[in-house]
Amino acid sequence: MQRRPIWGIFVMYLNITVMKTRTVELVARPREPHFVGDGFRVHNFIPSGYRLDMERMDPFILMDYNSKYHFPPADKPRGVGVHPHRGFETVTIAYKGKVAHHDSSGGGGVIGEGDVQWMTAARGILHKEYHEEQWSKKGGDFQMVQLWVNLPKKDKMSAPKYQDIRNDRISRYELAENGGVIEVIAGEYKGTKGVASTFTLIHMFNAKLNTGGKAAFNFPGHYNTALLVIEGSIKVNGEEEVPTDNLVLMANDGENFEIEAAEKSVVLVLSGNPIGEPIAAHGPFVMNTKEELKQAFLDFNSGKFGFLED
Amino acid sequence: MKEFSFTSFLTSNLNVEANDISALTEDCNRRVYKKDELLFQPGMVCSHTFFVEKGLIRQYSIDPAGKEHILQFAPENWFVSDRESVYFNQPSQYFIQALEETQVVLIDEEFIRVLEKKIPAFRDFNNRLLHNQIRHLQNRVNLLLSALAEDRYLTFVKMYPDVLLRVPQKMVASYLGITPEGLSRVRKELARKNKQ
Repeated sequence: MQRRPIWGIFVMYLNITVMKTRTVELVARPREPHFVGDGFRVHNFIPSGYRLDMERMDPFILMDYNSKYHFPPADKPRGVGVHPHRGFETVTIAYKGKVAHHDSSGGGGVIGEGDVQWMTAARGILHKEYHEEQWSKKGGDFQMVQLWVNLPKKDKMSAPKYQDIRNDRISRYELAENGGVIEVIAGEYKGTKGVASTFTLIHMFNAKLNTGGKAAFNFPGHYNTALLVIEGSIKVNGEEEVPTDNLVLMANDGENFEIEAAEKSVVLVLSGNPIGEPIAAHGPFVMNTKEELKQAFLDFNSGKFGFLED
Repeated sequence: MKEFSFTSFLTSNLNVEANDISALTEDCNRRVYKKDELLFQPGMVCSHTFFVEKGLIRQYSIDPAGKEHILQFAPENWFVSDRESVYFNQPSQYFIQALEETQVVLIDEEFIRVLEKKIPAFRDFNNRLLHNQIRHLQNRVNLLLSALAEDRYLTFVKMYPDVLLRVPQKMVASYLGITPEGLSRVRKELARKNKQ
């Protein structure tokens, strides 16, 4: 019979006692919106927000949030024309409206409410993003988040790829007492794993909470962590009240925190293991050194990213 | 993003102390133009050369048929000067327009004279800038007369590595003296040859 070592119990006890509450570092209101192309009216939180630069939120190096905005009908779909990316991934999470995407590696598709598009630009891709044609003709409320997720140096020049993550493929964890549901896009929530494949350890969830619904989270203390309130309003750790369209930057001072919905709410939860490598960023390229940035411009200008018709 | 300033442009090209230069350049007029705003237009006499500290401007003309022709782009650290106007005091034929929110330093002839007086090396440097501009214009005329579209394009991206990402393709085509479809063909062909 195997003897249970006494120190095992001690370690378990220690683990429980050293887990600390992760506190709120700051709550950021949405900044003045600007248009990306003519189809995305976004508030930038990362990297232009106060204390939300690329290093602070590594590996999440950009967050553009198109808060709910009504686009009138248009015959010619609004959007952003062909542009390149290198060195990272773009993740688009659709809450309202529909976006069509095409890229030079042959990837493409339409994402709508609840869907996620995870594009790995890596060594270089050209893409364009437009409101889906039929949706554009009718117009309507549009609400999306676009994130840039950095890649570690060793993967920056890997092959581009595209993950089309429809809502029906997103794993769901039902919260107790009819609290709501955690949709796990990437990473893991209480044993429920997300379908997205990632290069580094990332947790990305949509917490869809009913009024009074509570969800507890536990991420390693050094993981950079933020919450974006897409709908409704929440309380973090029972005290900090956060209204719609605000972002909560969690401090790196503990592991556990809890959110509670003051009304029916949707919250994007992000937590990632920082890559911790130097960041050299210019426009649509995010590399490690200035020389690599120069090379990115050379390669883009000389057609190495391929071709995509506008 | 890297900051460009007229002061650091001068200190990196002239063997002078930053303090001596900044005492002079702080007095220069600076202006911020909104995206699409015109800095000046045909018929006006402009007594300034513009140095771009942040943003991007273009100098262009419009022909009688209404078509635009771009002579020059000027991103950060570039000058734009309408010589006809600045030096010969004649009305300009050109538009100068901000393509992004742009901060420029307005440099007049008097300031040039002050610089020449206080920093003797500036005269040589300014002379070199002028010759460089003439060389650039000679090469540009030659390319427009003789070069294939692909060579014009490759020369363009070498000189302006990031402008293709900052302006609509039709403006790049206008600068190159080709149609937007022609530019698209060039880029498609390059992608076919060079795709990684």
